[in-house]
Amino acid sequence: MNSFFLSLLFLSLLFMTSLSEGQGKKWKGEGTTPNLESIVIGRCYEYTRIVNPSVGEKNCSELWEAFKNAFIKKDPCNILPTDYELFINLSLHTIPPNKSLFWENNQLLVNSFSGRTRRYTALGDTLFGFFADLLNWCGQATSPGLDYDSCPTTEECENNAVDSFWRMASITYAQHSSGVIHVLLNGSAEGGAYPVKGFFADYEIPNLQKDKISKIVIWVVDDIEGPDGDSCGIHTVKILEDRLKTLGYDVTCTDDYKPVMFLLCVDHPDHSKCAFSSSAPAAQRGPISSDRGGSWNKLMFVTFVGLLFRSALVY
Amino acid sequence: DKDCPKIWESLKQAFIYKNPCNITTEDYQPLMELASHPIPCNKSLFWSKTNDLVHRYTKSNHNFLTLEDTLLGYMADRVSWCGDPSAPGINYESCPKRTECESNPISVFWKMASKMFAEAACGVVQVMLNGSIEAGAFRSSSIFGSIEISNLNPDKVSAVQIWLMHDIGGPQSESCSGYSIRRLKDTLEERNLKFTCEENHRPVQLLQCVNNPDHADCRLCSSKT
Repeated sequence: MNSFFLSLLFLSLLFMTSLSEGQGKKWKGEGTTPNLESIVIGRCYEYTRIVNPSVGEKNCSELWEAFKNAFIKKDPCNILPTDYELFINLSLHTIPPNKSLFWENNQLLVNSFSGRTRRYTALGDTLFGFFADLLNWCGQATSPGLDYDSCPTTEECENNAVDSFWRMASITYAQHSSGVIHVLLNGSAEGGAYPVKGFFADYEIPNLQKDKISKIVIWVVDDIEGPDGDSCGIHTVKILEDRLKTLGYDVTCTDDYKPVMFLLCVDHPDHSKCAFSSSAPAAQRGPISSDRGGSWNKLMFVTFVGLLFRSALVY
Repeated sequence: DKDCPKIWESLKQAFIYKNPCNITTEDYQPLMELASHPIPCNKSLFWSKTNDLVHRYTKSNHNFLTLEDTLLGYMADRVSWCGDPSAPGINYESCPKRTECESNPISVFWKMASKMFAEAACGVVQVMLNGSIEAGAFRSSSIFGSIEISNLNPDKVSAVQIWLMHDIGGPQSESCSGYSIRRLKDTLEERNLKFTCEENHRPVQLLQCVNNPDHADCRLCSSKT
């Protein structure tokens, strides 16, 4: 009898703890990134002192305050893009013409390809994008603190702190882009390379400044191991091309843009898509375990020919 | 879990208010201890005269770690510091170059960090060298030659794999059978370290081709042209 009641007590305790754990988190999404303030202030200094000093001096503490005030002490489901207006005004800087790179479904690839402004300046390479890239945050209505426990997902509410930030940042980025605009799309993405509802479609295209833009260049690149889904001229890419042409832009589109292909190939060097054609000499030389092969043989051959030539001369 | 503010304090204490030409390895000992972390075997990637390429590589391919991808190297990369006996103790205006004095805070830091990085290496280690420079791919006066090689532990390191890279369209100043590479081989074998050499390691060459997509050496089979 005793052991029965003990087990019942034990089981109900277990049940209660699991219940309370499930009920502990307010939202379904991950909480604010730990040490958020230190990270973003550090990033601000890193960007302005090292990555892109041409933007001049920015007051990094002031930037953090403006950013924070956009969403603290508010209902985390009621944050609007315009709440970040002051932050954007303080962190704005010019984006060099012909360097803008828009993208969908290939964030890490774009990050690698843009080379932190060396090749292109994607949104994540601007001060305002660099500041918040890959981070998470939200507040709460009842206190000035950040919620490190959980944050609302897009499904729970659209007007959350993070999504509204990126809407504002995307709008701003598009408005300040000029010259030749580039868009990198993932041909293997589920649902198509160009999401008809997405940041590029809903916040960037509508905010491009037509009079400042000379051309829009679309690149469609498939994952190396991925399915060959969309390409230029078909499906969603055609929808995008038509939309941009209707808006009056000069549009070109390229499949398998080579520089990006090479970058993808770094992780798949033995894939057939990444094989060098046989006329590329340098690629042919395989591993050498301290053998004298290569140039030694060449030296012998040249010496031999030289000797032959000399003997021919003598005769 | 690392205590970042404490790590900053120990870095600061290493050089603040001190004569910037008189920094010792002891000054950095507390920092080195706080910030060091183990490195998985077969992942250490050393380099000499390939700064840009090697770091583009580790950024794209997370299978390898250079010193600059460890916590210590990451924090210090591209920044500099030096102290001064007079207030405020940190000199924001100028710092001694290596030619002015060798025991300056930056040189001593990188020498120590390189030594520790080499000591921590295990399994197969990789080295990316530049086969397009006239002075030779391997120089005993480089950090790799003068500090890292001698601090590799033959009991932990099973082999040293050289990736000798040539610039795309650049001079092939040296090959795996070249003069300085043979010297490197001898040095390693003297220390009981197995040596292999590969020219133009494919994944890295593919990365070089990102910047030279139309070069003859970068022609892909699958290319439509």
